Amino acid sequence: MELDYLASVLVSSLSSASILLIATIGLAVVFGLMGVINLAHGEFLMIGAYSALTVTQLGLPYVLSIPVAVLVTMAIGAIVEVLIISRLYGRIFDTMLATWGLSMVLYQLAVLIFGTVSPGIGMPQYNIQIGDYNLAGYPLLMIVVAIAMLVFVYLLMTKTIYGMKARASIQEPEMAQAIGIDSTRTNTLTFAVGCGLAGFAGAVLLPIVPATPSMGFAFVIKSFLTVVVAGPVTLTGSALAAIGLGGGSSITASFMTSVAGDVFFFLVTAIILWLYPLGISAKWRHKL
Amino acid sequence: MTKSQKCYRLAGLIFPAIAVLCALVAAGMMEPYLAFVATSWIIFGLLGLSLDVVWGRGGLLSLGQTAFYGLGGYFGSVVAINMADLFGNSLLVAIPAGAIFGAMAAAVLGYIIFYSRMGLLQSTILSYTFTLLLWSLTQTFKLEVGNAVIGGDNGLSNIPGVVLSIAPNSESLEPNAVFAAVVLVSAAVYYFTYWLMKSNFGKVIDCIRLDVEKTELLGYDVRKYQLLNFAYSGAVAGIAGALFGLWSNYLNPSIFSVQEALLVPIYVLVGGLGTLAGPFVGACLIGGLSFWLGSGSAGGQTTLMLGVVLILLVLFLKNGIIGALNDIWLRFLPDVNEAAKNSSAVRINVAVLEKILQQAEAQAGPAKELKTDKLLKRFGGVIPVNNVSRIFVPGQPYSLIGPNGAGKSSFLKTCVGIYQPDKGEVFIGSDNVAQMSIFHKVQKGMGVKNQKPQVFSELSVIQNLWIAAFSRTRSEQDAQVVSDEIISMLGLNKHSDVQASALSHGQQQWLDIGMVLCLAPRVVLLDEPAAGMTNEETRELSTLVRTLARYTTVVVVEHDMEFIRTLEGHVTVLHQGEVFAEGDIETLRLNERVLDIYLGRSKHV
Amino acid sequence: MNKNKIIGSILLASSLLVTTAHADIKIGAIFDLTGGLNIYGIQQNNALNLAVENINNNGGLLGDTLVVKSYDSQSELSKYTQYAKTSVLRDGISAMFAGLTSSSREAIRPIFRKANIPYFYSSLYEGGACDKQTFVTGSSASQQLSVLIKWAVEKYGPRIYVMAPDYNFGTISAYWIKKYAADNGAEVVGQDFLALTVTDYSPTLQKIQAAKPDFVVALPVGANQTGFLEQFAATGLKDKIGVVSTNYGSGNQQVVVSPEAGKGLIASQGYFMSVNSPENTEFTKKWVAKYGSEIPIVSGAVDVWNAVHIWAAAVKEAGTAESTPVIAALESGISFKAPNGIVTIEGGSHHLRQNIYIAEGNDQHGFNIIKTFEDVAPSYENEKCDLVSNPKLVKHFTP
Repeated sequence: MELDYLASVLVSSLSSASILLIATIGLAVVFGLMGVINLAHGEFLMIGAYSALTVTQLGLPYVLSIPVAVLVTMAIGAIVEVLIISRLYGRIFDTMLATWGLSMVLYQLAVLIFGTVSPGIGMPQYNIQIGDYNLAGYPLLMIVVAIAMLVFVYLLMTKTIYGMKARASIQEPEMAQAIGIDSTRTNTLTFAVGCGLAGFAGAVLLPIVPATPSMGFAFVIKSFLTVVVAGPVTLTGSALAAIGLGGGSSITASFMTSVAGDVFFFLVTAIILWLYPLGISAKWRHKL
Repeated sequence: MTKSQKCYRLAGLIFPAIAVLCALVAAGMMEPYLAFVATSWIIFGLLGLSLDVVWGRGGLLSLGQTAFYGLGGYFGSVVAINMADLFGNSLLVAIPAGAIFGAMAAAVLGYIIFYSRMGLLQSTILSYTFTLLLWSLTQTFKLEVGNAVIGGDNGLSNIPGVVLSIAPNSESLEPNAVFAAVVLVSAAVYYFTYWLMKSNFGKVIDCIRLDVEKTELLGYDVRKYQLLNFAYSGAVAGIAGALFGLWSNYLNPSIFSVQEALLVPIYVLVGGLGTLAGPFVGACLIGGLSFWLGSGSAGGQTTLMLGVVLILLVLFLKNGIIGALNDIWLRFLPDVNEAAKNSSAVRINVAVLEKILQQAEAQAGPAKELKTDKLLKRFGGVIPVNNVSRIFVPGQPYSLIGPNGAGKSSFLKTCVGIYQPDKGEVFIGSDNVAQMSIFHKVQKGMGVKNQKPQVFSELSVIQNLWIAAFSRTRSEQDAQVVSDEIISMLGLNKHSDVQASALSHGQQQWLDIGMVLCLAPRVVLLDEPAAGMTNEETRELSTLVRTLARYTTVVVVEHDMEFIRTLEGHVTVLHQGEVFAEGDIETLRLNERVLDIYLGRSKHV
Repeated sequence: MNKNKIIGSILLASSLLVTTAHADIKIGAIFDLTGGLNIYGIQQNNALNLAVENINNNGGLLGDTLVVKSYDSQSELSKYTQYAKTSVLRDGISAMFAGLTSSSREAIRPIFRKANIPYFYSSLYEGGACDKQTFVTGSSASQQLSVLIKWAVEKYGPRIYVMAPDYNFGTISAYWIKKYAADNGAEVVGQDFLALTVTDYSPTLQKIQAAKPDFVVALPVGANQTGFLEQFAATGLKDKIGVVSTNYGSGNQQVVVSPEAGKGLIASQGYFMSVNSPENTEFTKKWVAKYGSEIPIVSGAVDVWNAVHIWAAAVKEAGTAESTPVIAALESGISFKAPNGIVTIEGGSHHLRQNIYIAEGNDQHGFNIIKTFEDVAPSYENEKCDLVSNPKLVKHFTP
């Protein structure tokens, strides 16, 4: 095996892992801070993608469409939290079922509004070369985006009042209540942030994955598993799980077949869950 | 018991029987295409039943039921195709084949979930992933088994219809007869499930749903029960899948799709969770609604409406239709919890207690000592149990005291196995039990009462005691005798049929202690038993503990110094995970070092 | 002979009876009008209604009005079974037009076989479906690939890479690519089968670069897989390596793909909207008048249009809508002047001889036709499936 092939596989696998992490991080925030799995996460990704697409079709530059997508998904996320999730607090199965129903509703609404085919926005025609191998530039940029998202969430959790309240509510709920933290408001914001991150992911991945009503589905299976494998520690846990699972499966796919890559992903997930039934980070002491 | 109460108790038998009769009459009069469509509703109801068994009864929301349904369907159909030339009757071959295969698939997944003791949320996600994984894998799965050709996404065709005659290559039944046959098969499965859930197995499954930890503390191997229940639900789903194959004559990977999986919890929730008959009501209603809407513009939005229905059900109608009817009916029946309203304080009759303990010794053998050898438990940098070596013997109660964070409860939990020890040994008698599961230690003679009262809220007082006694005796009559004795010892006879959740906090503590006594434990571990008790109750408890200590080894973790004083036993002071001092309570009260740590004075902190 | 004559006159008499009773002739339609596949289903259904309208406006069929019993299968397979059975048990249809995916066809084929009702399947597919009641008006994989691979090897060179979806259509297409490559002195230097949910194509792109092919046969299914074409172009491979496809455009993928990635892609199908013929001009005029010009017409719609007209021609020839004589008439080799050129039913295989077009993507989300292969036979189906000499054959042939 030539060295340049090896190098290009490693770099592109890192970008695959980053894409998985970008798609997962919103889900991980909601799971880590509210203990809830949002089964409509993929559909929020889809809403983000369609928002960005609609805005670019209206003539705005693509870069400006990303914040619009974040705002739209955050708003919808907040509404969903107030109307549905907050009424089911502490009933995790019911929350899952409700978000599952929501995912069907959002999917069907997208089919009704946008049809099943919309024009894509194209990927920037930029690429780099490693030896004999070309790599598209935009997917590589996702490595930077993923790191930026991690840093953003870290700062949000440690440097803002909201972040401290959110972490206090999950770590010491009674104490947080006692010192007057309104956990309802914090939860609404947490869910909105999680959905906003999903919307950001949908928008930023739009050049790679065209907007379709079913696009969320392509991500959610691997995102769910990444979050479950990661366990309760949001940032480090999911980053590690995404790199291990996503990168590993991409490398496997490069040297074997795409199907082998998927099999790697699911097998490793099953083995890890067998060894760590509550996720790899369940017993870690630090909580970010 | 009044007539209406009797009728209420037998509702799960009577009303389904009426429904089956109506369905059979209708089968003779329906339009064939309606009979054809309605057959699928019954099949979906059966699929819903399989979820109700594992979710409504077992407490685990499995999104993998369509996986077992699909696998059972494929396997049953492959067998039916190949047997069609030899043996006409397709029901007799497809149903057992589907059931076995569905059960095996569920057992494999259940083994991973339950034996690794996975969290509930993780289990649900894993079951969902299992379904989705099958969906993508079967798209390309190609296999020829005799006459059956599984062609990936092109599916498996040429599945024979429902054939009853035994002669080879017989004609399949007409739609109306198929409907009647499917109704009868489903009724048989329903009644078997009804019986199973009323049986001792079903009672344990109910307990696991209500409090899985307590069930294990009673000595039941919960993993085994959960696995068996899951496998049974897989078998029911497999039967539904086999019927579906015979009904549609065609199977394809879309049986594993998200839409299919979504419908199953909807059927269960519409009808009523945990009611067994509910899923059939739900499936017929949803199916009927979709049929009535037809394929027009409204019918095209079925998925949208089902999504909305699911959200609304979860928010507003948790118990479904049968649950709501049940609530209305209950209002017209006398309240079983009436007796809980006028209750008096519990009094322990020492003579009765001694008699019970002597009997227990005769049945379960002499008291055993509890010994720990360099027991160590760490959480990250904190070591709440640090090389503790102790022997506890029968004769007098042992108390563990210490300031907050001294490691008293952690020591107890590490002995019990709620925390896995990192190092060191735990002996019950001569058996090293350090690495054993909790239920296994209980079977070796350990009885545990945790700080909060752990009772099965939906069960009556006598049922709570009976299920504890049954764990040891494994005989219904013996368990009845034991639980009757304990309930009269506690003076709770009048409350026999009251639901445990209706009892006061103190009464729940007594009930919990009563359940521990039903186990005839040889070593008893009590974690703050006096918490939340009145002074009067605490006195009674002290009497009980002292009597108990004459027949078994008793270790008590407690804060209440007055209570400990009345126990007149041996006291161990723990500090920072280690044994700090010991002796009788009067000596320790004069010990400066002990006072230092309790008062936070700097010398020994 | 005599016997046939008697049967013939009885049939004629009965058909006259039907005519005098002025009963409508009913046909069934099951398409995905909602759900994920409605991009195809709505157009197929539109084409069916347009064709029925066309026939009714021209005096109907044997003097009767054609009535459509239409069902929406909601992109769900179980609905196909349900509605197929309902249409047989309740509606009393004379012919069925239904289905898009191969699985939908396989689900309902046995029902119409048992009921002896001619069933028309109108979509491009992997090929090989064979029984007395089933007629296929779309093109099969081997039909398209036989001409496409020959053309592409001449144009680009002999090294081929296959990127295909991981199910029947992909694996069977890959088989034919290998075979036609060998026939034309070329070779398949690598292949990758992808799950429908794959969104990240970098491993595939690395493997393509390592294999150094002259062209890639890309068979993307669904919107996710069109992402492959974007990533392929963005990696800068489009100028070095050609891309050809048999299904690109069948679901209007050219609308999704950006002009930078779509320009120069080679697609081969039985119909493109830009086909230049008087029949197509007439057809598109009618279509646009009724449904607008917003969404380009896909080949599946024309396949339905052709199916209805071919069946109507067979009914006219048989003088009745009864199944057995209609099937016999269809097997006599009916031709039809279709928007995509003259199409002819092959009596033995129940598949269609038709033109195969090779078109190049332009920078306006459309296609320019660059080559037309006329009257291409479904040779694999003709070879395996002869329902005239073996009417009892019920198979789904796979190579």
